[in-house]
Amino acid sequence: MRAQLGLSRRVGLSVLMAGFAILWLLPAVWVLVTSLKLTENIIRVPPEWIPWPATLAHYGEVLFSSSRTARIGRAFVNSAIVSVGTVALVVLTSAMAAYPLARMRFRGRNVIFALLVGSLMIPNAVVLVPQYILTHRLGWLSTYQGLIVPEAAMTFAFGVFLLRQFFLTMPAELEDAARIDGAGPWRIFTRILLPLSQPALGALAIFAFRSAWNDFLWPLIAVNKPEMFPLPVALALLRGAYSSESYGPIMAGATLSALPLLIVFLLANRRIIEGARVSGLKG
Amino acid sequence: MRARPYGNRPALRRGALTPYLFLAPGLALFAAFRVYPLLDGLRLSFTNARLGRAQYAFVGLANYERLLEDTRFHVSLVNTAFYSVASTLPILAIPLLLAVALNRGIALRTFLRSAFFFPFTLSVVTVGLTWLWLLDPVVGPFNYYLKALGIPVRSWLADPTTAMWAIIVTSVWWVTGYYLVIYLAGLQDIPRELYEAAALDGAGGARAFWAITLPLLRPVFLFVFVTHVIGSFQIFGQVFILTQGGPGDATRTVVQHLYETAFQNFFHFGSASAMAWVLFALILVFSLLQFRLLRGHTQY
Repeated sequence: MRAQLGLSRRVGLSVLMAGFAILWLLPAVWVLVTSLKLTENIIRVPPEWIPWPATLAHYGEVLFSSSRTARIGRAFVNSAIVSVGTVALVVLTSAMAAYPLARMRFRGRNVIFALLVGSLMIPNAVVLVPQYILTHRLGWLSTYQGLIVPEAAMTFAFGVFLLRQFFLTMPAELEDAARIDGAGPWRIFTRILLPLSQPALGALAIFAFRSAWNDFLWPLIAVNKPEMFPLPVALALLRGAYSSESYGPIMAGATLSALPLLIVFLLANRRIIEGARVSGLKG
Repeated sequence: MRARPYGNRPALRRGALTPYLFLAPGLALFAAFRVYPLLDGLRLSFTNARLGRAQYAFVGLANYERLLEDTRFHVSLVNTAFYSVASTLPILAIPLLLAVALNRGIALRTFLRSAFFFPFTLSVVTVGLTWLWLLDPVVGPFNYYLKALGIPVRSWLADPTTAMWAIIVTSVWWVTGYYLVIYLAGLQDIPRELYEAAALDGAGGARAFWAITLPLLRPVFLFVFVTHVIGSFQIFGQVFILTQGGPGDATRTVVQHLYETAFQNFFHFGSASAMAWVLFALILVFSLLQFRLLRGHTQY
């Protein structure tokens, strides 16, 4: 649809779309604005879009308060540990699995790949109860590994799919040259394939980080100690802890939870979009 | 091989094992936390398993029969179906319209795309809390501006006729950016010559959209459609934050009912597993239907 529009129509369309985009961002802006307001100004009508006088008191409250429910600071650390652990596990296992699926011939290759792709259709809600029983039997409820390992298993098949596509595009000469120099498969994998795959590995890492950082249903079930809650669960409970006229701390918590991905998004915009786009190709 | 009974064998076998060694860690993870739970869920659905019950018995189809009489489960199925149907058109159409507009060589394309994509980087809890505050009936800005425009307002989330619509609006805001990116990728794969040829034949703008863009986007359309429907069958987080299934049971969904059955009220793992498999069966049937409905015509 790059058919050339006249200049005036193009300007008009640009302005219209910019208006839509601003409208689209207003809910998020409202959250940020609310989190910076003095409590007595939050529920003022008409709504005030400039938080003045501004305060960081709500952030202090949710980060450092001693109350049991408002431990957003601790939840932030938990989420960071779980997300980084998930990313490491997913990237390692998917890359290792994608390598032979893309570049070796062996019995069962097509069956394994078909199974993995088929599993992308399994709804997470369907495995919830048995996964809970398994995690319980392992003694992993309310532990980091109890969040990391199932989270990684959820993203593994997609990771294999994404990385295999990328590995398939690499020229065979690279491997052949290394093999002539006496390099074994592990050396080829770590010294040639992985360094050349950084864009794909980065896209997968961001995708896995996003799904681990934001997952709600599994941690809601698998964690029952407040000091082990990740951010989404802690935030959901924060809602119940404050009465509705006190949106300040809740919105401060919401802003804090959005921060890491916002930073990643600003730094690696293209890679996130690429990851989302590739996830669409599986259809 | 006969002549050299030992010679190459160890090396050969090691080489033959290599692919499996690389696959082993991931497949172990996959088997233990994806395949096994899926099958174990099917087994549990024929038992009377409960939280904390060490011994449980097979009860045949009893859990499934109970679902036939569980009116709250029926309500949750109807609500989920309503959400699924009512959200499909906006989620297919809004990102498509935005993508087509963004693809017309307008200024700030990358920035605008990012603006629409941003909500998708948020967790469902953050999104839910955002809209809970926006839609606050007394002090929320949404009702204030509606009133200012002279539009009658109400307590959107507390009114059974509008609560699900509020949840749909929330979901559309959340996922539009994701589908927008996918549509944009699809649009870029359409050869530009087609539009140029159409323009020569005097078919521009709207004609070209219906005759070229839509038919050639069919695979992308199918992907968005299937992905959205699968996701919509599992809607949970928005409901949990915004309405907790209320008012009454007006927004109770299947996954919420499953969650409460297994983890909140009854700890009935058996009947929750039966619900999970009913849900899974529905998802499979609808996905296959959608494929059959839309596949056949992807060639051009």
